[in-house]
Amino acid sequence: MKRRDFLKASAASLVMLQCPTVFAFNPIAQTKTKKVIWVMLRGALDPLHTLFPIGDPDFAGYRQSVVQPIQKSLLTLDHQFSLHPDLAFLHQLYERKEMTPVVAVASGYRERSHFDGQDQLESGLDHTQHENGWLARALNQYRGNGVAVARTVPIALRGATNDVDTWFPSSFPEADEDTLARLADMYEGDTHLAGLLEQAIEQTENPNMQMKETHRPKFPFLAQRCGELLRNEQNTSCGMLEMGGWDTHNNMSKRLSRQFSLLDEGLKNIKTELGDTWQDTLIVISSEFGRTVKLNGTGGSDHGTGGVMFFAGGAVRNLGGKLQGGQVMGTWPGLHEDQLFEKRDLMPTTDIRFWLAEALMSHWRLSPSQIKAIFPDI
Amino acid sequence: MNKETEAYIAMNRFGYGATETDVRAISKTNPTSWLKAQLVPYKMPESKFTSEVAITEVMAYNQIRNQLKNASEASQDMQASLTQKRKEIVSHARDLAIESTTFSFKTSQVLQARLLDFFSNHFSISRNNLLITALAPTIEREAIAANLSLSFEDMLQAVIAHPAMLLYLNNEQSIGPNSRIGRRRKGKGLNENLAREILELHTLGVKAGYTQEDVVEFAKAITGWSVGRPHKNEPAGFKYRVSAHEPGNRVVLGKVYEQRTKQDGLRQGQNILTDLAMHPSTAQHLSYKLARHFIADQPSPKLVGEMKRVYLASQGSIPKVVSAMITHPDAWSLQNQKFKTPREFIISSCRACQLYRPKPNVFQVLELMGQGFFNAGSPAGYADTSDAWSSAQALRDRIEWAGHFAEQVKLPVSDIAKHALGPLLSAKTAETITRAESQTQAITLLLLSPEFQRR
Repeated sequence: MKRRDFLKASAASLVMLQCPTVFAFNPIAQTKTKKVIWVMLRGALDPLHTLFPIGDPDFAGYRQSVVQPIQKSLLTLDHQFSLHPDLAFLHQLYERKEMTPVVAVASGYRERSHFDGQDQLESGLDHTQHENGWLARALNQYRGNGVAVARTVPIALRGATNDVDTWFPSSFPEADEDTLARLADMYEGDTHLAGLLEQAIEQTENPNMQMKETHRPKFPFLAQRCGELLRNEQNTSCGMLEMGGWDTHNNMSKRLSRQFSLLDEGLKNIKTELGDTWQDTLIVISSEFGRTVKLNGTGGSDHGTGGVMFFAGGAVRNLGGKLQGGQVMGTWPGLHEDQLFEKRDLMPTTDIRFWLAEALMSHWRLSPSQIKAIFPDI
Repeated sequence: MNKETEAYIAMNRFGYGATETDVRAISKTNPTSWLKAQLVPYKMPESKFTSEVAITEVMAYNQIRNQLKNASEASQDMQASLTQKRKEIVSHARDLAIESTTFSFKTSQVLQARLLDFFSNHFSISRNNLLITALAPTIEREAIAANLSLSFEDMLQAVIAHPAMLLYLNNEQSIGPNSRIGRRRKGKGLNENLAREILELHTLGVKAGYTQEDVVEFAKAITGWSVGRPHKNEPAGFKYRVSAHEPGNRVVLGKVYEQRTKQDGLRQGQNILTDLAMHPSTAQHLSYKLARHFIADQPSPKLVGEMKRVYLASQGSIPKVVSAMITHPDAWSLQNQKFKTPREFIISSCRACQLYRPKPNVFQVLELMGQGFFNAGSPAGYADTSDAWSSAQALRDRIEWAGHFAEQVKLPVSDIAKHALGPLLSAKTAETITRAESQTQAITLLLLSPEFQRR
């Protein structure tokens, strides 16, 4: 912690001591310095074309046709695993012990519908609740605010007791104050619209939320803005980013190469924007499930089970516990046919929520009972 | 409830808001009959840009592009004409999509326009490459609009066999492992994508009890459902390739679909689609989705049950199921339970203000508001409930757009309010707009009023 921030934090705690207890627990009054960014990859990332298990004797048999053209440029992590060549920034982080991949992970979901799989991962429960997301429950424990870079609040951030904002680029001239005031008056009897308007007005008044952009909202740009929002908003402890385009049933090599370039650039932008805050930031990257081990008939893969997740950011260095930066974590199940889930998918050996819990416990210093409140089913 | 209020409910909940013309038409009959009378073939203007034209143009474009790639020295002129060609294709497709939408500004069958939107989203296609971009608006015309007054099975068969769907969900590349091509070309094979999404999204619905094995069997049954290549002298449309079809019988949901002759292969898939269309889970899934779209985010089980009953009794007749919905008491609730989607908000604003060519155009605006044409990014389509469209950011978009739009409106606000909302206009909104500082501000506020944001 920098000296200036330390002074600010102590000043804040002094104020709190003088306040009635009701306010002492007001989360807004505290400065939260540890940030979490969750990057949700929608569409089911192919784990074997992300983190290549080149040490597995069965791997080449399944994937030779798509591995061979890039074999020489794969980025080595250890004797068993290599990273896709278009994830060069992620690889640099790994070498600096600021990144750790976890292999063969899955949520509690074992079917193959994207939409159900995403909802369940976001809800973080064994049975999806659409108004109750894991990130919201985590924020409730940490008492921080959140922001979703999206048009509406995703399930993961629903059910938070603190503020959750949404931000997305918009392109029309801003409404004038007078019109907003009249709208507020007109919405008086309508709690739903009145609530939304209040939030919208707060956004227009907040310089960090203002943005007149004509950019196409591609991931690197959204990621950059997410970094900027987290850096400027002291009390915003977590951000959620989404990236689609991972459902590679065909032409996987080319499509993933493009996707990874965007993802990698976005992560780099986050680091640049965060500046010193990078040291206090934990980025989690995960997807609803994995894909079939065998390629399908169209140069792609179909919906599967076990996947890969990543932890990245300056905070990975200090995580400790079961998560170590610069190492591949998780238990590799093997790729021999009888080691596969339903003879087709990578077998999941650990639950995504277990790793999230490990990370949150250390990064946000949450107690086991607080973790239980976030992930009651594990 | 008086007849006027009922008329306004009909026009808002089942149309895109009231206009003078609608008010006059409805006054000659009654709201229910006015709606039911619309459930006949949807008369849309003919279009020259068909799927056949779209495929032919894109294939021609691809050929020139490939020649250019292989040419040692590509002239700048050639490159420029290629770029020009691409722009033309994209703009033809865009014009068709805009026309399908703006036709709902003036049609007397506004309920059909709403149903077209609903089914277009039910069978959602996303523009992920030039060919799909070109084809997406044609599936809406050729397979969806054309079948709105028939049965769901008719629509399903037409949609699944349409080149846009086959290409979007990769079925044209799916090859039976034991088919002639499959045995000859190693590394080519099955792609489950289309089969899975038909079961999960188009028909039975997720958790309807089908298994992974059903998905694979169904995928095998529709191997060979492909698209003709004009440059190989095939017609540019649906093409059944016997040589890619997986031979043998298939078992889906416990029923055997036999293949005795080569042509039976095509019928296997068609028969499965027929059975899926008539399945009780499909009846439930569609009735629920329709009721959720038109009536409430959480429609009553009674309403859905009645629609399902009619669905099964009428072999999935779309007009009959929709009639069952509009004659149910839930359809006439005074409470507007649906928050308009961006699409509904924009279209109803254009109709209310009689501004048919707003700037930016509907295509651009919906893109900005997150509900662009054929851009849901997933075969599940856009969300259809309030929570997906009502957020602070979304409201901000609407406020800012409304201000920009209102500047272009020529009609006086009092006329707009009278025709668009009639008896639904609340005293509060009426007061707010009369006190506004300008016509523009008044129109902005009217469009953002609670009664205009919901239906």
